[in-house]
Amino acid sequence: MNTVNIVVAIVLAAIIGLAVLKIVRDKKRGVKCSGCPHSCTCSVKDSCD
Amino acid sequence: MKIALAGNPNSGKTTLFNAITGRVEHVGNWPGVTVEKKEGDIKQSLNPKKENLIVVDLPGAYSMSPYTSEESITKDFVLTEKPDAIINIVDATNLSRSLFFTTQLLELGIPVVVALNKSDLTEEKGIAIDIPALSDALHCPVIQTVAAKSANNGLPELINAVITVVRSGKKQVALNIGGVRNASTKEQFEKADKKRFAVVNTIVAEVERRKVSSEKQTLQDKVDRIVAHKWLGIPIFALIIWLVFSISQTWVGPWFADTFVGWIDLLYESVAALLGEEVNPVLGALLLDGIIGGVGAVIGFLPLIMVLFFCLALLEDCGYMARVAMVMDRFFKKVGLSGRSIIPMIIGTGCSIPGVMATRTIKNERQRRTTAMLAPFMPCGAKLPIIALFAGVFFSDNSWVGTSMYFLGIVVILLGALIIRQITGDFSRSYFIMELPEYRIPSVKRAAISMLMRAKAFIIKAGTIILVSNAVVQMLQTFDWQLQVVAETAPETSILATIASPLALLFIPLGFGMWQFAAAAVTGFIAKENVVGTLAVCFGITNFIDTEELALVGGAADVSSVMGIGAVAALSYLVFNLFTPPCFAAIGAMNSELESKKWLAAAIAFQLSMGYVLAFLVYQIGTLATTGSFGAGFLGGLIAVAVIAGTIGYLMRKGSKKEQSLPEIGVVKA
Amino acid sequence: MMALSKGKINTPYTVNCINTSQEDLREFLFTLGCYPGEKVTIISKLASNYIINIKDARYSIDEDLANAIMV
Repeated sequence: MNTVNIVVAIVLAAIIGLAVLKIVRDKKRGVKCSGCPHSCTCSVKDSCD
Repeated sequence: MKIALAGNPNSGKTTLFNAITGRVEHVGNWPGVTVEKKEGDIKQSLNPKKENLIVVDLPGAYSMSPYTSEESITKDFVLTEKPDAIINIVDATNLSRSLFFTTQLLELGIPVVVALNKSDLTEEKGIAIDIPALSDALHCPVIQTVAAKSANNGLPELINAVITVVRSGKKQVALNIGGVRNASTKEQFEKADKKRFAVVNTIVAEVERRKVSSEKQTLQDKVDRIVAHKWLGIPIFALIIWLVFSISQTWVGPWFADTFVGWIDLLYESVAALLGEEVNPVLGALLLDGIIGGVGAVIGFLPLIMVLFFCLALLEDCGYMARVAMVMDRFFKKVGLSGRSIIPMIIGTGCSIPGVMATRTIKNERQRRTTAMLAPFMPCGAKLPIIALFAGVFFSDNSWVGTSMYFLGIVVILLGALIIRQITGDFSRSYFIMELPEYRIPSVKRAAISMLMRAKAFIIKAGTIILVSNAVVQMLQTFDWQLQVVAETAPETSILATIASPLALLFIPLGFGMWQFAAAAVTGFIAKENVVGTLAVCFGITNFIDTEELALVGGAADVSSVMGIGAVAALSYLVFNLFTPPCFAAIGAMNSELESKKWLAAAIAFQLSMGYVLAFLVYQIGTLATTGSFGAGFLGGLIAVAVIAGTIGYLMRKGSKKEQSLPEIGVVKA
Repeated sequence: MMALSKGKINTPYTVNCINTSQEDLREFLFTLGCYPGEKVTIISKLASNYIINIKDARYSIDEDLANAIMV
């Protein structure tokens, strides 16, 4: 493994990890669909910032 | 301190709510946009002492008498949550009706402050209102507001008045309307309410002077007569929608998009250069083609979508859409719906989820369910990249593609409603009555804010759901079942290809029987933008838009040759994606509004059948017209379509036999 | 007494009764201020829809409803 591959692997893991984290967090807050412009209206709870 | 906002529909509650909280909730210049209560904190600039002030926006109501069918969210809220004060938003141009509700609010024993909204319109209408006299008559503060204006709008005074009233701790004094307190039967309440109107009329006669009677014909009425004309109404609507698509997809949109896509390409190239030759091809491809390419292909359509949403926001704001509901009422009535069903559909052009939720205000169960089931057929924001992609690649950016998809959506909805009416055997009709809002010059600022909100949401979605989907698609495409990297010469051995291939067989009669298209259609259920992303990943195309660059290498025909389908099959694929079930989130919304697993299953089956049949017709008829013979898999497809048509026909016959009782008439109000 | 649908444009009529079996329709119209004794004016007739003025607001109603409002 050369350094480039390690860096790329870390970057990929970070990007995908963050995306998944955001989706999971949104789901937990009750937002049905990440990024839906009406998330606040669609979700049962009032969970918008 | 909890403050409730209550008032008649379209009196500007949500506009005021947004103005005092700094939030951006959906506002439309028509009644019935808000269906759920919404909470927010009052923004700092209006709350210098940093008190704990929470505002709750309630859906509009004309009345809250017991025994009336009026949705009584207001009453339930007041009884269960006990707000400290009520801001009653009163349309200053329509005191004589609005004060009826005001007098009812005054009886709740909670301090009321009247916000006399739209006060900027009174002058031009020749209305003069004696504010102190009104305040005296109602025993509560009356503050003039113009919630739509950003400064000098009376809002600081309004909030101050609310705080003062609550601090004083006085109980709200109700008006003396004979018989209200002792009323217990329906007749007594009715009698009391007549007196209530009489009291309101006396107050209005005292405080309001009108130079021009509201019955007089105005310029607005002349405009109505043209845009809602029997024959001209539909062509005008079509022209306006065509203009919206032209501006966003042909004139202004691509101009922004070209620059924007240039940046994405630049990013792609610089990352590629940075990685150099040493990088592991699997990792490099995942980052470059899977993530940057796939997400970039979707994000590239952002400018087009932003321009489109800007135009739609202007259109909603000016008051025209209520007229569209009026024009369409005639056609919707023929299939057992009413103009009321139009509103969820228009909201659905932004996102199907709030569109489906807006069906909640429809009283008749069959009509409500039918509308919730059919509203996702309107091309929502997430479907626009698919439309833009195929319009750009196969039809040289013609705006008729978008326009015709919009109207095909309406036709399919009408057809669907007709079928559902036959199947359920419920032939009830509804009265239609809807308040017509005044036309106004749409606010560029509001449209811009609405556009930016949607853009932000689009980016978040692209960076989360779409990014992860694309990464997964890229990985599934890279490996085979033995987890070996797939040879470049044999892409059909990948996991993705082997999963999607059987499905692709079903699509042969529709003209796109290739595993890439099948895979894209499936990922589209997660989010419709994925269709574009997955196609980008599967075909290794990162740029669908930069027409200039494509023109250099042989025009848009380049992308279409990579995909290996012709224009007819492309149109068929587009139709298939627009008229199959929406994304899972929208299906979830349908589930909660339909309130029945049977209906949900029927809705999804119906949507799948609709997508399949329409795509089949487009492809086979299109192929017959262009080449003189039917396309591939005609016979197999014909059998499938015949089975679907037969099933629906059988259900319709069974349903219409059920119909014995007299048609009941339900009321629909907006 | 006649149905509002037979009425002339720009003529104020006084509502006589709401001819419907649908109680909630009557109640809803009441809250808008359309009840016996109140005034209603037809502003325009368009295809099968009517634009009417009740109190100080414009409403779009359909033919069925225009037939139900007796003036």
